[in-house]
Amino acid sequence: MREKAIYILAILAALVMIPNLKTVFMGLPDEAMQGAIYRIIFIHVPAAINAQVFFTVSLVTSILFLVKKNFLWDSISVSCIEVGTMLVVVNLVTGSIWGRNQWGIWWAWDLRMTSQLMCFLLYLGYLLVRPAIAEPTQRATLSAFVAIFAYADIPLVLMAIRLPNVRTQHPGPVLETGTMAPEFRAPFGLGVLAVFLICTALILIRQHQETAQREIDSLRRELHSI
Amino acid sequence: MDITNLTFLFYGYSAAWIIITAFVFLLVSRGRRIDRELDRLKSLVADRDRSR
Amino acid sequence: MNRGLLTALAIARKDLQTELRTKESINASASFALVILVLFSFAFDLGREELYAIAGGLLWLVFSFAGALIVNRSFARELPNDCLDVLIASPAPAWSIFLGKSVAAFFLLFIVELISLPVFGLFYNIHWTQNFPGLLLVMALATWGITVVGTAFSAVTVNIRLRELMLPVLLYPILIPLLIGAMGTTTALLQGEPMFGPGATGEAFASLRLLIGFDVIYTSLALYMIEFILIV
Repeated sequence: MREKAIYILAILAALVMIPNLKTVFMGLPDEAMQGAIYRIIFIHVPAAINAQVFFTVSLVTSILFLVKKNFLWDSISVSCIEVGTMLVVVNLVTGSIWGRNQWGIWWAWDLRMTSQLMCFLLYLGYLLVRPAIAEPTQRATLSAFVAIFAYADIPLVLMAIRLPNVRTQHPGPVLETGTMAPEFRAPFGLGVLAVFLICTALILIRQHQETAQREIDSLRRELHSI
Repeated sequence: MDITNLTFLFYGYSAAWIIITAFVFLLVSRGRRIDRELDRLKSLVADRDRSR
Repeated sequence: MNRGLLTALAIARKDLQTELRTKESINASASFALVILVLFSFAFDLGREELYAIAGGLLWLVFSFAGALIVNRSFARELPNDCLDVLIASPAPAWSIFLGKSVAAFFLLFIVELISLPVFGLFYNIHWTQNFPGLLLVMALATWGITVVGTAFSAVTVNIRLRELMLPVLLYPILIPLLIGAMGTTTALLQGEPMFGPGATGEAFASLRLLIGFDVIYTSLALYMIEFILIV
């Protein structure tokens, strides 16, 4: 069942992504100001959007774990956070490469870049602390606590980077003021969908591993108890 | 457009896919390790049950 | 509710009393803060204007480092002789244990800050006494933020291995927005910008809302959720 779902998701992702890449690279015209490089947004922004989606899912499942004490929710939380963190890295790296080309620098303390970097650091803490906790129930509970604390920080980060004393490269975030030409919208939406499908498949794989890992832990304890 | 622009576009997409592929490799290798460990432990438990 | 607050007060008093008798973490933290202050003067060679421009950042780096040392001991102090288990088994609710420990850590860190502030002014020749009430307000708000999140994570890390390493890894990313706000406001205040009244451009005031928001969000979140993590 699970394997079937993973294969179906992977096939769907390929069906969405490959024609979409063709449109992006062959069909769409170059952007007036940036030339060819603007096509990076078709992976750059979907990665960021999906990362936020998965972090939000992890918030919900972390709360559910604390309430229901069902390890299913914990395994979904950790999978979502791991894949989400990977997507944040994709977002930061592609953004950095775009910045090198357009601004001439790899990094600027721009609003979005700063907030995204903080997001990465927050969830990196989660991923680092988790393996340090040996006992499964304790690991899941403390991780859920850390995940909720980390998510609560995101609105505060967004507030902090708008303070007058924070230097920025951009006057304001791109998405709040800019609009996208209509012919770019469909490939953009399909890009979001493709990344979502791929990452859901990855989350399912990761979640299965987490369940297997807990089975290993309990078998180990059973063997030690004799 | 000029060629550096395309080069950087290529860098961008390669970087994204390299990161995703690296993550998948990480997942696969961890999955293998977990499967091996699970088999080993299961056979240990089975041995113990038989010797009882 | 009322009894919980009294218990919190008792725990805060107990923590402060033990700490002020031995002075182990406050001494370590204060001397660490001083060493960093001295080291910074070798890291940068700055003119007067530039020094004022980074003064807030400098101070809050020192304070947050000192804070991590103090909150690290908050729950770890109870580990010898299984005091932590006794505390958890006692009828005191988890939130009042947590609140008491946060209050104690708050006062300890505040003392360290009040020691380092004059030293900072002296070493770097900065007039920290202008706008002192505003500075105290910012220090109180940001210090409470540091200690409440720090004490919560101190409870998270108390029972895991690599405790001393994991606390900063978790704590600092969460504190970033708070520190951004505190740094900006402190710099503006040290530069002579008043917080309220005539002559205030709003720069010193802007991050006050952020500091209050941070404190309210994390205090309520921690008080509500500490139950889950103290028991496991």
